[in-house]
Amino acid sequence: MKKLLVLTILVLIASIGTAAAAYKVGVLSDLTGPTSSVGAPYADGIKAYVSWLNDNGGIDGKPVELIQVDYAYNVQQALAAYKRFTSSGIVAMQGWGTGDTEALVKFVAKDKIPVFSASYSAHLMDPAKAPYNFTAAADYSTQGRAGLKYLRESWKEERAPKLAFIFPDNPYGTVPIPAMKEYAVELGFEVVGQENVDLKAIDATPQLLSLKKVAPDFVWTGGTTPSTAVIMKDAQKLGIKCTFLTNIWSSDENIFKLAGEAATGHFGLQGGVIYGQDVPGMATILEVTKNEPQMTHFVRGYVSAMVMCEGMKMAAAKGEVTGESIKEALETMRDFDPMGLAPAISYFPDDHRPNMSVNINTFRDGKLEFVKTETLERKKEWLGL
Amino acid sequence: MSMQKCGLFYTTYGREDGLFPSRFQKICLALFFAVLLICPQFMNSYVMSIMNLILIAIIGAVSLNLLTGVCGQMSLGHGAFLGVGAYGAAVFSNMGAPFFLALLGGGAVSAMIGMIFGIPSLRLKGIYLAISTLAAQLILEYVFLHAGGLTGGANGLPVDAPEIMGYSFDTDSKIFYLILFVTVLCVLVVTNVIRSRPGRAFVAIRDYHQSAENVGVNLFAFKLQAFGLSSFLAGVAGGLWAHYTMYITPEQFSMGLSISYLAMIIIGGMGSVLGSIFGAIFITLLPEMLNLLTSSLSGVAPDLSAIIVPMKEGVFGLMLVLFLIFEPEGLVRKWRLTKAYWKLYPFAY
Repeated sequence: MKKLLVLTILVLIASIGTAAAAYKVGVLSDLTGPTSSVGAPYADGIKAYVSWLNDNGGIDGKPVELIQVDYAYNVQQALAAYKRFTSSGIVAMQGWGTGDTEALVKFVAKDKIPVFSASYSAHLMDPAKAPYNFTAAADYSTQGRAGLKYLRESWKEERAPKLAFIFPDNPYGTVPIPAMKEYAVELGFEVVGQENVDLKAIDATPQLLSLKKVAPDFVWTGGTTPSTAVIMKDAQKLGIKCTFLTNIWSSDENIFKLAGEAATGHFGLQGGVIYGQDVPGMATILEVTKNEPQMTHFVRGYVSAMVMCEGMKMAAAKGEVTGESIKEALETMRDFDPMGLAPAISYFPDDHRPNMSVNINTFRDGKLEFVKTETLERKKEWLGL
Repeated sequence: MSMQKCGLFYTTYGREDGLFPSRFQKICLALFFAVLLICPQFMNSYVMSIMNLILIAIIGAVSLNLLTGVCGQMSLGHGAFLGVGAYGAAVFSNMGAPFFLALLGGGAVSAMIGMIFGIPSLRLKGIYLAISTLAAQLILEYVFLHAGGLTGGANGLPVDAPEIMGYSFDTDSKIFYLILFVTVLCVLVVTNVIRSRPGRAFVAIRDYHQSAENVGVNLFAFKLQAFGLSSFLAGVAGGLWAHYTMYITPEQFSMGLSISYLAMIIIGGMGSVLGSIFGAIFITLLPEMLNLLTSSLSGVAPDLSAIIVPMKEGVFGLMLVLFLIFEPEGLVRKWRLTKAYWKLYPFAY
């Protein structure tokens, strides 16, 4: 009898817990740390989408409540923030950087909390290693490969194009390099060199001087916008005639402020569109931001929240919304179009790569300019590499 | 007429040297541990995770204090030694070693590496030694990132939650007991080392190396011992961290970690075990408190919090500077003053 009573009380408590007024979602942001210049607009994008969603009916009438914690890009603080989220009963989470996303991989798998991170390391795309990790943009390696494919196709000369790599010697910088080198050779590039430029570098002359000797036609740069600006300016100073291909974090609207005209004509990869680009979803963004221009990271944060909420809607349509049901729903997502704000997204139970596409932008007249969306084949052997 | 002592009077040296000379202290400590032992039953996983982080930080801070505060050897590479222990323990654990063996193994590897990087300490002092340990930090970070076969490189290394005799410590509350046990052990080791011959030799070296040598202290041997023991304990802290987070990457053991351990012992009190504990608690809690403050402010006064949030890092720095100016001997001095005040309350003179 007593057991039965306890059981009823427990069930009651549990049902009160799930019948709460809102779906709680944790937002782990870097607002004050070393990546805050891109972390803050990304977080704003997440918040903008969710507040728009809540004003437009939420998920099945229930609003989404965001709990934001600034962890200043510190892994220990990220861990504590995550525990704070789980104690307050989140069903999903929006994460941020490489270090914290990886430190939480096992926790989120155990607690069954789907995480959308802005760290696009390839090994996070493999559900065998990171079952609850999702991203709204393709992994660094896929992006890099697609960028190389675009460069190769736009190459008109007879000889093989020469390619060099510049990246910081840290996990984020080194992760896509082996994959890109392999694919570059496959495409018929001649890989002529690689150099390390630190994220906090104020001078890249020594590295560029040694690259000048091998005269690359294209140079991959994976770093941050400030470090890329240093590289571009020094390249111009040294008279190096090459085209830079910068990765998703290495160029944004600030590139012209930092590098000036040295940025003109180079290419940047992005997972989302540019603010104001002519796509269906832009109307809402213009409306919620009151025509105040935002960085492309804002759009990516916006898309990340949109995809997560779409997963929650799909889970709600089937039954209860829990971390596990959101994950299962997401894995049935096929070619979900985030209103043109990013390439269409699909997840599979054995493959969490959202797509095999990247948006290629060029820098002209002080602005980012969309060139094309490059798409690769979804090859099994590339998963996680 | 019955007589009552109005202070602590010792009749033997042994008693004076005791860790807890009065019964009152023993009772307080027992109560404190009793509270610690039952609190996982009442606390949520956020509070427990903070406690776990504090306990791990305590081992790191106490071990750095042994090297820097007690023996006077500056180290800017403590975070990396923690990393060596973490990777060591993770590798042993992934090879199938039982938890405690993996922890000891990680500590042993860390001690070895620490002693190698401690060799320059015979010739270098002060700021010069600091720079050479900084080199250790950078070299070890490079190794973590590039020894892909062993450390997983940029992809990191997954570790399983600790398991002892089939019982898995996979929640914050469960692993808390394990971490608490190891922390208490480590703190006891350091406290007792300081009271023993090596500890007194360390202090002698710190105070004046030439006098120490004159009275027969083998500088090289003791400095290496200090480096070895300190790195061993740092390695144990790292091993606990690895098993707690279950996923380690090179970014976790950066320069920033070394600096925050230095901040802990400076704020807590150089050369004091209790000080390191206070420092570890303070530095771990400060960002959480600032976070709670800003998030609660954002509800009441959104405009104000918009100004305060970007200042968080500044507040952290300001706290450190204020501490150095107003309480250079650290939190432990404040604690002693408070204790002294209450001891004679209300008849302070």
